[in-house]
Amino acid sequence: MSNHQILNPADHGALRVHTGAGAQFGDAVMACLTVPLEFRAVQGHYPIVFRRDAASGQFSALAMFGFDNGENLFLDGDRWDARYRPLAMAIQPFLIGRPAEGSDTPQVHIDMAHPRVDHGGEGTRLFDEDARPTPVLETMAGRLGDLDHGYRQYPAFFAALERHDLLEPFTLDVPLDNGARHSLVGYHVIAEDRLAALNGGALGELQLEGHLLPIYMAVASLGRFADLVARKNARVALG
Amino acid sequence: MTGTIQRVVIVGGGTAGWLAAALLVARRPDLSVTLVEAPDIPAIGVGEGTWPTMRETLASIGIAESEFLRECDASFKQGSRFDGWVDGTPGDSYLHPFSAPPQGDMRDMLAAWQSACPDAAFAAAMTPQAAACARDLAPRQRAMPDYAGALNYGYHLDAGKFAALLARHATGRLGVTHIAAEVTGVIAAEDGDIAALELRGQPALAGDLFLDCSGQAAILIGGHLGGDWIDRSDVSFNDRALALQVPTQPDAPIAAQTVGTAHTAGWLWDIALPTRRGIGCVYAARFMDDDAARQVLLDYVHAHVPGADIDRLQPRQLTFRTGHRARFWDRNCLAVGLSAGFIEPLEASAIVLIELSLNALIENFPASRAAMTIHADRFNELFRYRWDRIVEFLKLHYALSRRTEPYWLTQRAPETIPPRLAQQLELWRDQPPSSWDFPRVDEIFSAASQQYVLYGMGWPARTNAAPSPAATARLAEVRERTRALAAALPANRTYFTAAAKAAPDERLVRT
Repeated sequence: MSNHQILNPADHGALRVHTGAGAQFGDAVMACLTVPLEFRAVQGHYPIVFRRDAASGQFSALAMFGFDNGENLFLDGDRWDARYRPLAMAIQPFLIGRPAEGSDTPQVHIDMAHPRVDHGGEGTRLFDEDARPTPVLETMAGRLGDLDHGYRQYPAFFAALERHDLLEPFTLDVPLDNGARHSLVGYHVIAEDRLAALNGGALGELQLEGHLLPIYMAVASLGRFADLVARKNARVALG
Repeated sequence: MTGTIQRVVIVGGGTAGWLAAALLVARRPDLSVTLVEAPDIPAIGVGEGTWPTMRETLASIGIAESEFLRECDASFKQGSRFDGWVDGTPGDSYLHPFSAPPQGDMRDMLAAWQSACPDAAFAAAMTPQAAACARDLAPRQRAMPDYAGALNYGYHLDAGKFAALLARHATGRLGVTHIAAEVTGVIAAEDGDIAALELRGQPALAGDLFLDCSGQAAILIGGHLGGDWIDRSDVSFNDRALALQVPTQPDAPIAAQTVGTAHTAGWLWDIALPTRRGIGCVYAARFMDDDAARQVLLDYVHAHVPGADIDRLQPRQLTFRTGHRARFWDRNCLAVGLSAGFIEPLEASAIVLIELSLNALIENFPASRAAMTIHADRFNELFRYRWDRIVEFLKLHYALSRRTEPYWLTQRAPETIPPRLAQQLELWRDQPPSSWDFPRVDEIFSAASQQYVLYGMGWPARTNAAPSPAATARLAEVRERTRALAAALPANRTYFTAAAKAAPDERLVRT
């Protein structure tokens, strides 16, 4: 059960949150949402794939951390073994909220039921004694703003991908060193052949709308699957 | 005697003796180390503050930090706060923190302080540690590796439990031989060295090098060898203390620094452990009688320890004479700890002197009897210098005071100020303390320490130039780091409560 509240110093003046890594903080997940404006940073560490929601038909982008539910191959005890964590992970336990009606200004919400919310006096404060935001809250607010901006680009980005027919289904069959096999099914990736065949007019259009860079970053990110497999093999070898 | 130095015999089982045993064996496993202590000598029980050096010391002898904290009822010490030393008015307080000011020319840093944040105290402008201390915060988070911190720190500890932990570790894990017997005599060699110790009810104990860690009794260095004692009470004239241990509430905040509070004829120490506070009144008998000192002590406890049962407190009286050996290392005997010297614990110099003595010994361990004489002379020169520096630095705390009681006026009388300190104060009118003033290896009180006391006590920060952009940026970084650390560090009490809850799991993992 989640418990979303609008963050404010009156209710959350002494609240602390845990900013470190750990399964106990909800980091043991195989993937998280990612947005085109961070594809450049994400592709340095994680494969980026796309998935269509069966109910809504809408696409979303995922940064992959593992091959099974609950498996995060970047999580090593209290260490996240990569220099960049996708925004959707790095903002927890915060969320983007909007006032019920009228204004479109995003607000900082917090999920009080999230395991990053502290109950023992450790972790990092969100407000100082004078009710001013602490540096960690300022950082979080900046990330939430970026993520919000990224989500707003989703419709145009995926519309462009579909308009140019640049998504194709993707299945990855992963043979492990110990003979076991893992497979990822139900995802999409950028159709490289069709991307390579686009004419100058189409490329110019994608470039003008700002989609070309993230498209190529998503293509490049698939090289990270080799790293993910190596991490899986290393973990299997350790038992 | 073959002339090689292989058998080390340590006399005395307090902090000095057991630290010596553990460090010697951990760093020189080729030596044979025996510690002999009389079975029923009570520990003196002061000297319960360490310097940050203790982290390296404990790590090098292989004790985990969580084990040390738990077994010694220890807490974190991030420096010393001095209340009432300048003029005794309300709000008269300054901090000598363990974290140094930002790197760079102190003249430039002083200019940046005066221009960017003149209302901030010197320590608060120079390090985030001031904010952490003001909020009773721990210098580290529990998830950090052992002995690592966001801020520099040492410890407050229970000295009796500390000696017991070191004894278990040294005998159980490191292979130190422990003999519980009273030393009844010394067997001298023909050349005047100590050949062996006579023990009550046990065979004589021979050795090549003897460490006298027997405390104020100094049974070898003073009793047998009869070395000269250099009295320093002309400069440092406190000679008595009344000590108390006051239990605290389980949820009471744990102060992040030692607090030294000035009174009319001396000062009080206040050291917070998780379960108790060690509080003592230091005074000079010729300015204050014992009853008055007792009243000062009890008044302090009443005002500063909520819920303390004043009527049940029984202060313990200590008398001491400030001074040290003329030769700390005489023949084949080295004095470590209180046998080497004593001075009031104003800046917790006792335990760090033990560590420095042992480091100097171990890193220059004599391979032969012939080399020992050379090492001893060098050691004696170095530690005479260090004692002089300690005496001068403690005197600085008094020399800058503006208090007007007879005791304080006498503390500032020119004939009681060591000449080198007087000269430095003259120079510091024009330039801040720097490594030009403190040029030696491992200066016991660095230029940074002198700066914290000097500018903490309101010494004019003379600056005749505008600050450089770099210095202004350094101090802006301090302010940003202050905000971040004040938010991220847990309160000391929270830290130790959480550590106590986690402790049973740790034990399971280890077995």
